[in-house]
Amino acid sequence: MSAKTKRSLPPVQHERTFPRFTVAQRWEHVVLMLSGLVLLLTGLPQKYREFSISQDLLSTPERIELIRQIHHIAAIVLAVEAVYHLGRIIYLMAKRRLPGDLLPTWQDVRDAGHMLQYLLFLRSDKPKFGRYNFEQKVTYWFVFFGVLIMGISGFIIWFPVQFTRFLPGGVVPAAKLAHSTEAVVAAIFIVIWHVYHVHVERTNLSMFTGRVSEEEMKEFHEQEYERLTRQSESNAKPGVKK
Amino acid sequence: MATRNMHRQTFWLIAAGTFVLLLSLLLVSPAGAEPPAQETEKYCLSCHGNPDLSLTLPNGDELSLYISQDDLDHSVHSSVGIECEACHNDITEYPHPELEYQSARELSRAYYQTCEKCHSANYEKALDSMHAQAAEAGNLDAPICTDCHGAHDVRPPDEPRSLISETCRQCHTEIVDTYRQSVHGAALMEEENSDVPVCTDCHGVHNIQDPRTVQFRVAEPELCAGCHADEDLMGKYGLSADVYSIYKRSWHGVDVSVYKAKWPTIWHESAVCSDCHGIHDIRSTDDLQSKVNPDNLLATCQQCHPTASPNWTDAWTGHNEISLERTPALFYVERFYTSFTPFVLWICVIYVALQIIRGIVDRVRRSLS
Repeated sequence: MSAKTKRSLPPVQHERTFPRFTVAQRWEHVVLMLSGLVLLLTGLPQKYREFSISQDLLSTPERIELIRQIHHIAAIVLAVEAVYHLGRIIYLMAKRRLPGDLLPTWQDVRDAGHMLQYLLFLRSDKPKFGRYNFEQKVTYWFVFFGVLIMGISGFIIWFPVQFTRFLPGGVVPAAKLAHSTEAVVAAIFIVIWHVYHVHVERTNLSMFTGRVSEEEMKEFHEQEYERLTRQSESNAKPGVKK
Repeated sequence: MATRNMHRQTFWLIAAGTFVLLLSLLLVSPAGAEPPAQETEKYCLSCHGNPDLSLTLPNGDELSLYISQDDLDHSVHSSVGIECEACHNDITEYPHPELEYQSARELSRAYYQTCEKCHSANYEKALDSMHAQAAEAGNLDAPICTDCHGAHDVRPPDEPRSLISETCRQCHTEIVDTYRQSVHGAALMEEENSDVPVCTDCHGVHNIQDPRTVQFRVAEPELCAGCHADEDLMGKYGLSADVYSIYKRSWHGVDVSVYKAKWPTIWHESAVCSDCHGIHDIRSTDDLQSKVNPDNLLATCQQCHPTASPNWTDAWTGHNEISLERTPALFYVERFYTSFTPFVLWICVIYVALQIIRGIVDRVRRSLS
């Protein structure tokens, strides 16, 4: 797309955007966000029963049953999404087409060190990030392992009798503790880290629109921007095929 | 002169009269302070001391009218001067008025009501009891004061302490026999242990309630905790006093406390103490017959979790704190969330805080330049 715009060369000033997320990825995010939100809203009142809002929500034994059913339905939705996500990773890996942009690298560690110096006023320039900066990688992997822990521990405490047929009994209380604690950890993380980075620092809606403006590309993903523009200059092929 | 003599005579007369009156008061008053009851006991026993004295009631009941002097001597009432007429207040003369009761039971149920005269609080409590309800429902054999305390031989009900179980055993034979095999009952019977619960400690004394109700069930953990959360008492027997507090945090315990707080009248299935430990047959965990002995634990779990497999019993963390030896998986998960995760979250918080500070500083600089 970017290449096409470049080729036709319209003389008018025109905001250039870069594709960032595919439709499927954006849908994955929507499903993850909504199911996660439902899980959190139905899970927290069960954990913190003593709060009056939980008491209002769980006002009868039938209500508890209902809330649990909603929690379980949302859990299945998220589980399907997680299986799809993992399945796609495996599929792409098998085809040797898995983009490695999200994998942590030493460059991320260097970038983090650089960024820390910048934040402590020891440097005046920000690191030049690639397609995904280390903040975004931290988000991805935190959520990745969070969903993994919540999923496994959740299914264990949903079907404890079945799981202890082949797993030691000790996993049940361990799963219960993990599920209950990880939920809060994940919620705190999302609120502090993710909400700050996509809503407070700047309004980054690329996960919904699928595209990122040239401005943002330059500021937050300079390395990737340079790579893309160099690519499109050197060979006229669309440069974002990943 | 004559009138003066007259006056003197009157004076002496009055003086003599007063003296006699005072004397009689002096002589009579100690005699009056002595309970007339003692007299009635002796008086009544002049007939009722005869072992053969009996009466046939209209329904054919043979009613023995014999009262043993020995029973009276050991009763708590006779020794403090509360005697026959205190309760038999309808009999004031001989020959006695005609008895209008059809049966011996009817007579007992009529006479026990005089207990209320002095023991009104306990009497009223008993009217709220499960036993009174049974009587109301038509079971006239349901116990009244005298069935447990005795009639003419009322003695301290807990001397010795094991006497209480004997009293209940008159009707609840099987349960008391089971109880006597339990860790509590055995200690009571063998050593008159003063710490173990007897029937009345759990069931109450006069206002004994139905223990099969939702209310009793939901309050049960607190009932057991009365002793089992008492550190001094448990320490005496080498038992943990944390069993209750740990139970409260467990799956079962949380459920039960929610029901107790919010729906105390709705039946819940989450296990309370007696579901696992037994009721009257509670035994030491080491006892091979204990329901919670490791050998029997699976069967106990299967009462509610019928398809549970042998691994299942380890899912129950017992009444124990998290430890590496007992619950390694739980131990490591707990470690992970108390050390690594807070560390990561703090780093996130600090990083974002630094970003906010740098962002504000940059903005201020830009607006100044």
